[in-house]
Parts: sequence; structure tokens; C-alpha cells
Amino acid sequence: MNLERLPNEEKLSLCRKYYLGGFAFLPFLWLVNVVWFFREAFLKPAYTEQLQIKAYVKRSALGLLLWVAVLTTWITIYQHFRAEWGEVGDYLSFTIPLGIP
Amino acid sequence: MNASDSDEDIYNERSALVRSESPALPSYIPDSDLTPPNGTPTKRLKVSFRSESLQCFVPTRPAALTPSEEEELTLKYGAKHVIMLFIPVTLCMVVVVATIKSVSFYTEKTDQQLIYTPFTENTSSVGRRLLNSVLNTIIMISVIVVMTIFLVVLYKYRCYKFIHGWLILSSLMLLFWFSFMYLGEVFKTYNLAMDYPTVGVIIWNFGAVGMICIHWKGPLQLQQAYLILISALMALVFIKYLPEWSAWVILGAISVYDLVAVLSPKGPLRMLVETAQERNEPIFPALIYSCECVHCSRSAPINNGSAACLMFVIVSSDQKRHKLRNKTLACFVFWTDGLCLTLLLLAIFKKALPALPISITFGLVFYFSTDFLVQPFMDNLAAHQFYI
Repeated sequence: MNLERLPNEEKLSLCRKYYLGGFAFLPFLWLVNVVWFFREAFLKPAYTEQLQIKAYVKRSALGLLLWVAVLTTWITIYQHFRAEWGEVGDYLSFTIPLGIP
Repeated sequence: MNASDSDEDIYNERSALVRSESPALPSYIPDSDLTPPNGTPTKRLKVSFRSESLQCFVPTRPAALTPSEEEELTLKYGAKHVIMLFIPVTLCMVVVVATIKSVSFYTEKTDQQLIYTPFTENTSSVGRRLLNSVLNTIIMISVIVVMTIFLVVLYKYRCYKFIHGWLILSSLMLLFWFSFMYLGEVFKTYNLAMDYPTVGVIIWNFGAVGMICIHWKGPLQLQQAYLILISALMALVFIKYLPEWSAWVILGAISVYDLVAVLSPKGPLRMLVETAQERNEPIFPALIYSCECVHCSRSAPINNGSAACLMFVIVSSDQKRHKLRNKTLACFVFWTDGLCLTLLLLAIFKKALPALPISITFGLVFYFSTDFLVQPFMDNLAAHQFYI
């Protein structure tokens, strides 16, 4: 899909849908939104819808950062304390490494 | 404008995946010379029919050019598109080979087989094994033919919703279930601990964004990346569950079927295309790998039903397994030559061409001939310590 060929209203609509979609536990969608619409929002000469697109891109970026922080924290905690958690740790685990650390 | 029309076409009747159990469909390319009687520019048909194992080349050109311009541009296209198709297939192969070398799961032989290949190859005699592989091929090809005809019938009777639902279901399975399995195996290989919540988030994101990109709207490069990954995933499943000899025979048989179904007047896909032309609408887009030629003065994307490379990926990965680098390289080189030749023929004949046969024939011929010719030659050289 080439953004160049879309009229501005459709660009805005697309950006908005991607932004709203990201709330369904989809930080990746927010990432795609940011990367894809970055140029439209910040590097193109101004047009009417650009302000709103900018807002959506910024909010997506914010949401993305939040998710990254949460995930990093959780992964760190899990990897560090998994062995100590005993049964709960095993219950949470998708794969358990073999051998003695 | 013709150019933007065609692009809109690609994205309006979006691509959709055919489920892995659904058959490989023969490739078909419409006769791009058809013009409506009143002489208006040819409506470019985006005909790409997905198959897990077959390719379809769809050349699209705007109309109204002088013959010499046409010639020159079609030849230029040949070259450009070879390169553009080369990249995704190479990437696909790289992913599959990398996985096979590192994750042993996909090469561990198991007694489990696909239901399409019920005959085992674990037999003691060569004759029996050969018979079984031929029988497996017959079953697989019949399934393919039946499903193709079924799809054509569905299309003819305008059961679009059914087709759409089927395609969505198959892409769901690929994007979620197979990638979940793949991730699990990778973690096991590298002996990493991973928890369910994180895995859940990863798979959910991967799958959902994949569905959005493929079935709705998304950035072109992301869509292409997803198609490559999905082809790789499917190749891996086939490698694991398709017995070796059956794979070779199936490869040959599909190549023949491709030829027959495309060039014969009663072939199912020919009927499909004709129906679409009658209705003057693009055929139901399956997995289209759209190589948009962004630098071309006339933007004319070529659509390639991806995953035809699948077969070749399977083949080369099979070779990797046997650690015969010569064979892999030889096959890869000859596949490329086959691809170039096919595209050249496409430019010359400007009509429907099956995309696979040349490549597959080359590949098969050279795969087996390296066994008989190159390997003893190399052994001899090595024995005499003669380096070239």
C-alpha cells in the first residue's frame, strides 16, 4: 500500500484505525503506525489533516514506550526469579531450560 | 490513470492466504493482450492465484505504446523482475536453511505424516519405497486437482464469502499456530526459559498484525516480509512431514500438472480466468507478492503468487540436510536460470505461462546429475589434491 497515492482523509482514517487497534494489546501495531506515518506526520509540508495524524503518531509512540517498559520489567523479573518461584515459575513457563545453570 | 487504477486494484481485492491443507494450484497468467472491442486501454487483470507450491506471473502494462517501446520495456522488465523476485525467494531460503541448520526439530524424522501422504517410506525394499512414493504423489495431486476445481466452481457460482472465509481461516492457522510451534522449537533449541504471558503477547502481535497487513491495508514491505516468513514456515512443515522420495515425485508431478492446467483449454484455472474476464473483475486474489517497480516510469507491478519458491526451498533445504553444498548451490543457480528463462519467455510470448516447469526441470536434472557427474569429479580432484 502506497501512502503517496491516498487522499489525505484516507491517510488520517488509516492512522486513526491503527492507533485504535493498538489498544487491543497490540504494541506492534503502534510501532507500525509510528514508522509508517512518521514521514507523513513530521517530514511532509503541512496540510489540514497533518495535525491530527501527528497527534496519533505521538500517542502511538507513547503507548509503545509504555508497553516496552512493562514488558522489559516483566521479562527481567521472570528470568531472574523463575527458579526461585518453584511451582508457580514452572506453571508460568512455556519452555523450561534443561541442565544445571 | 491506469497506473493508480492498477495499484488500487491490488489493494482493494486484497490478498488472502490459502490454508496449508488446501491444494497447490497451478499457475496461470492471463493473456495480457486482450483489449475490449472498443479499443479502450486494457484493464489490467491482477490474476494471481496462490498456491503453496505454484507460482503465477502476472505482467501488467498500461496500454497504448508503440511496438518498439513495448519490446524494449518488456525486456527491461524481464531483467528487473528477475531481480525483484530473486530477493524474496532468496530470503525465504535463507530463513529456512538457517532454521534447519539450528533447530533440529524440523529434521528429526518422525513417523507422523500428512494425511495426504499416507504411505510410509519406511519400507525395506527400494521397489516398495518407490511404489509408495508414487502412490503418495497420486493422492496429493488428486487432492490438488479436486480442490482447484472446487475453488473454480465456488468462484463461478459467486460464493465469494465462502472463499474469503476459507482463506482467512488458513491464514489464521499459519500466522498463529505454526509460528507458535516454531517459536517453541527455537526456544528449546537455545535452551531459553520463556513464560506464557510473553509468548502470548508475541504471538498475538505477530499474528494480528500479519492478518491486518495481508487481508486489509498495511505497508508494502511489511506485507512482503510476512509473506516470506509464512512461506518459510510452510516449507518447514513440509520438510518435516513430507517423506523424501514422495517430495521428489510430487515436485515432478506438479510441474507437469502446471503445464497441463495452464496450457490446455479445459484447465480449471483457464476457466477461472475466463470467468473473471467475462465479469471484468480481478480474480480472487490469493497470496500476491507484489513487486512494485517504484523506479519505473510506468508503474507496473508484477504479482507473483508467492511460495512457489516453497518447493525449491524444500528441495534446497533437503540438500542442506545431507550436507552437500555443491548440490544446493547448483540447484539454486539453475533455479535462477529457470526463473530468468521463464520471465524471458513471458515477455516474448506475452501469454499465460506456467511458472514452475522450467525451474523445476532444471533443478531436478541438475540435482541428480551432480550426484552422478560432479561429485565423483570433485572426489577425484580431492583424491589427487588438485585444487581448482
